[in-house]
Amino acid sequence: MDMPATKEATAPAEPVATGTESDVIIETRNLTKVYRDFWGRQKVRALKALDLEVRRGEIFGLLGPNGSGKTTTMKLLLGLLFPTSGRALVFGKDASDVAKNERIGYLPEESYLYRFLNAEETLDFYGRLFDMPAKLRQERIRELIGMVNLGWARRRQLKEYSKGMARRIGLAQALINDPELIMLDEPTTGLDPIGTREMKDLILRLRDEGKTVLMCSHLLADVQDVCDRIAILYQGELKELGRVDRLLTVQDVTQIQARGLSPEAQAEIRQVIAQHGGELLSMDNPTSTLEELFLNIVRDSEARPGRRAQEKR
Amino acid sequence: MVLEREILPFWVWLLPRVDSDGVLHLGALLLFFLIVVGLAVVSVFLGYLRMMILQGPGEGFYAVAKSIATAISRDFPQTRMGRILAMARLAIQESLRRRVLVAFFVFAVVLLFAGWFLDPQSDHPARLYLGFVLSSAEPMILILAILLSVFSLPNDIKNHTIYTVVTKPVRASEIVLGRILGFCTILTFMLVVMCAVSYVFVIRGLDHTHTVHLDDMVPLGAAGDEAVSWTGETSRDAHHRHEITIGPDGFGQTDRQMDHEHSVWIVGEGDDQQVMIGPPRGALVARVPIYGTLRFKDRTGRPGQGISVGKEWTYRQYIEGGSLAAGVWTFDGITPERYPEGYLPLEMTLGVFRTYKGDIVSPVLGALTVKNPSTGLSSEPIPFGARDFVTLSHQIPQQLRAIDADGTLRDVDLFEDLVDEQGRTEIWVSCEEPAQYFGMAQADLYIRGPDRSFAWNFVKGYMGIWLQMIIITCFGVMFSTFLSGPVAMVATFMVYMVGMFKEFIMGLATGELPGGGPVESLLRTALQMNITIELDMGPVIDRVVPAIDRVLLFFMWVAATIFPDFGVFNTSRFVAYGFNISGHLLAQQLVMAGAFVVVLSIYGYFFLKSREVAA
Repeated sequence: MDMPATKEATAPAEPVATGTESDVIIETRNLTKVYRDFWGRQKVRALKALDLEVRRGEIFGLLGPNGSGKTTTMKLLLGLLFPTSGRALVFGKDASDVAKNERIGYLPEESYLYRFLNAEETLDFYGRLFDMPAKLRQERIRELIGMVNLGWARRRQLKEYSKGMARRIGLAQALINDPELIMLDEPTTGLDPIGTREMKDLILRLRDEGKTVLMCSHLLADVQDVCDRIAILYQGELKELGRVDRLLTVQDVTQIQARGLSPEAQAEIRQVIAQHGGELLSMDNPTSTLEELFLNIVRDSEARPGRRAQEKR
Repeated sequence: MVLEREILPFWVWLLPRVDSDGVLHLGALLLFFLIVVGLAVVSVFLGYLRMMILQGPGEGFYAVAKSIATAISRDFPQTRMGRILAMARLAIQESLRRRVLVAFFVFAVVLLFAGWFLDPQSDHPARLYLGFVLSSAEPMILILAILLSVFSLPNDIKNHTIYTVVTKPVRASEIVLGRILGFCTILTFMLVVMCAVSYVFVIRGLDHTHTVHLDDMVPLGAAGDEAVSWTGETSRDAHHRHEITIGPDGFGQTDRQMDHEHSVWIVGEGDDQQVMIGPPRGALVARVPIYGTLRFKDRTGRPGQGISVGKEWTYRQYIEGGSLAAGVWTFDGITPERYPEGYLPLEMTLGVFRTYKGDIVSPVLGALTVKNPSTGLSSEPIPFGARDFVTLSHQIPQQLRAIDADGTLRDVDLFEDLVDEQGRTEIWVSCEEPAQYFGMAQADLYIRGPDRSFAWNFVKGYMGIWLQMIIITCFGVMFSTFLSGPVAMVATFMVYMVGMFKEFIMGLATGELPGGGPVESLLRTALQMNITIELDMGPVIDRVVPAIDRVLLFFMWVAATIFPDFGVFNTSRFVAYGFNISGHLLAQQLVMAGAFVVVLSIYGYFFLKSREVAA
């Protein structure tokens, strides 16, 4: 199966596998989160001993069904939740350190914005929280409103916005500080197909600009399209981690694509291609879809709880 | 005006001192630090307890230590005004969106219909008007302060809008301070408008004039004399009329009715002569009372106490008429330089208790005597007639006659002979009619200094409300950092109630007021048991109930100690009764409010910082 065009066009060279310490933007060590009730009794174990590393310049996807712990992971990384045990480090600093937020942009699952503000006021407010000088702030607001195509509605209160528009202004506020790390929680929720495409293109563009993107989603196609690496979570446990292209490669099957062969040659090709001088277009392993992989993992986890789904990466 | 608590000079209030009875008073500053240290210790301990339960003793200690270290080393120093202002702007925009300005209309409507409630025939219309506007502005702005401050943060957390805020480099301190600043700004704006509107309402409501024709005036003095004076009456306007006296120079004034008087003068010549009447004077004043200290002489003339005439409240004590009983005020700093007009302006408001009615219209006779506390030389008694709680003005002239030790009368000088070397003098007040009583408290007699501006006093009255509003807003925001909106509202309201009835609660907590603690009171209420009866319900209950009550009363005592005393801030009666709110009191209010802002902001910071906003 072909990779999508955009992905091919912008796919980076080999991933930053051998990154130095400073290239690790996000690191979680044994990160665990247990939700408790008022009396401190355990309600649910949302995340179990998660170890992750996200490196500079990659798009990292957290994938999992609802309630798998993706959003919990993101909230722990943002300091919105405190870990029960383990550590969450962003830029080498503890997630509870507010200073790290200078370099982070965050788009929550739904656009949780003040509905009584208009687009300009919204961006102005968030700009002020970064202590941005007025001139720079105005410039940035103009730029971002143009980028998300909301120029025509910039004076309208957000309560009058459609879901897609709110999503776009939400993205704009996440980028107000030109962040190095962007965390996107379900970035394509509520967007129409064109909006989804634009969002994905934007994510890729951000990566090309050298930014690191951490996104979580349960929309597999989105993840497959844009992510360099993914982690699949299921019931709070890490089930799979690796490069998307590798994860989707079916190792024990070879796929050959050929053109310009006579029917005889086609008959013979099954024996020896090279002897007949046909043009070999590709010879590689076919990929499954992410959906297939995902469902396999979920099924496997349900059949054998507590086991990492696939040993090979 | 009843002044239950003496207003101490600011520095005396602030710093530790030992009073004349040898009792040590810690002073506000030391008390504040003791409370802060106590609260800090308790808070850290409770915080550790919570973290210990959640994370174990070692981790818990680390977590508490880390959060304190982060606050001191990073979050407080990195708090930026720009971000506080951004949060404040948001709070203002939010308030406006929540249509807070509707309160103006409510206030306007209240003022429009005020005429229904205010008795136009009152003897003290100014007191009524001022009391009304101040006491309607106060609950309105405080309710608004509670409603605005307690719902904002919980709503942000509920709607998750807080996610996009706390993931910016904004400190919890900035969120708390920004909200306080924002809400206080909008409420201040509203209060300023309310202050201006109510000032105009009072001025216009009291403004009136009368008419009088010269033909209706009665000339005094022999006909043919050059200098003729007149007397007469004004028309009846605003439910009263005045008597007028106009002197030979064509100027005069009316008598005092309903706490005011008018200037009167004649303009024109011959047949065109007209009597002009000026606007009301003296209704809206800011008197500066200079208080002395009061002690009593009993009916035999020995130092002692006044007597109770059966009223439960001990604020005012009574002296018996026709006996040697007297109330003695001692005043300091009596120098001719301070009273250049050459007289001592006294004002006195006595309670008059009659044991027989007889003619109840006529005043009860009393006498004032000025006495030198060192030499004992005293002036001739100056007679006066007192009515129950009617303010009398007296000017003690500089030239007086005194009775010498040998019983002869001689002329004396007030400042030279009746004031001792330390500048002290005594005013003795006695009741001259047997079997009638004068009630007096320290604030009932004072020397009246030069008046201050009424408008500024009115503003100071509003400042009392303003400072209460700030404290309430701080409590509201602080509670909202860890409680849900409705619970925070109840908590803030409770703080206000405790603050309003602080002395009463303190009285209960310290056992000064009878009836026992909450459980005992409940039992007594249920069993219809009088508070004077011993609680006698068997050995177990008799022990258990007081034990539980002791714990509950301890918490009441703590609450009454640390919560603000809103009584101190409620100065509307000063304005209504025409007394200047002293700078000392204002300074105390400002310092107290400032202390609450600081402490509550710090608490708000820690509560918000230690809260998982996404939980």
